Amino acid sequence: MTRAQQTISIALLVSSLYLSLYLELIPLPTLIQTAIVPVLPFWALVSFGAWVLFRLGWGMLTFHDTPEAYKELMEEVKIAQADLRAKGVNVD
Amino acid sequence: MLDKLVGLAMLVAATFVFLYYTIWTLLMPFVDSDHPLQNVFPPREWAIRIPVVLIILGATVIGTFLSMVMIKSNRKKAAKAKAAAKKKA
Repeated sequence: MTRAQQTISIALLVSSLYLSLYLELIPLPTLIQTAIVPVLPFWALVSFGAWVLFRLGWGMLTFHDTPEAYKELMEEVKIAQADLRAKGVNVD
Repeated sequence: MLDKLVGLAMLVAATFVFLYYTIWTLLMPFVDSDHPLQNVFPPREWAIRIPVVLIILGATVIGTFLSMVMIKSNRKKAAKAKAAAKKKA
């Protein structure tokens, strides 16, 4: 099973569960049906955005920089660019 | 140092947004309309309007960026084809 198939099947599962709630196929108290169920997709979207922002911030906070490796890498990039330019490839 | 501060700010913002929005959308319907906690949150229609506006804004920005990149690369390609045709002729 590819990753795309996995993602699509999970998405279909979640949407069918939500649709069963939205179309009132499961009896729920009125307040939940009218005020909570329609809001759930937006809540999921905002929570996903907050989760991604959290992960990014955490990564930035705990990142260990390596200046020597950076210098070495920039040198290698320059050498590779000069080599490719000599062979006629446009690297700009 | 600066990027660590930015990372911490993002962490705090993400946590705050999640907690505020969760309480706003999932908790406030069960709170009486005369409870003082209601004063902390705007009317609930805004809990839908703000994410929708942000989505439309985000799609606009991404679409604009994509079109600018495509136009630039097409122009480069056309300029190259012109230069090659000039050389031939």
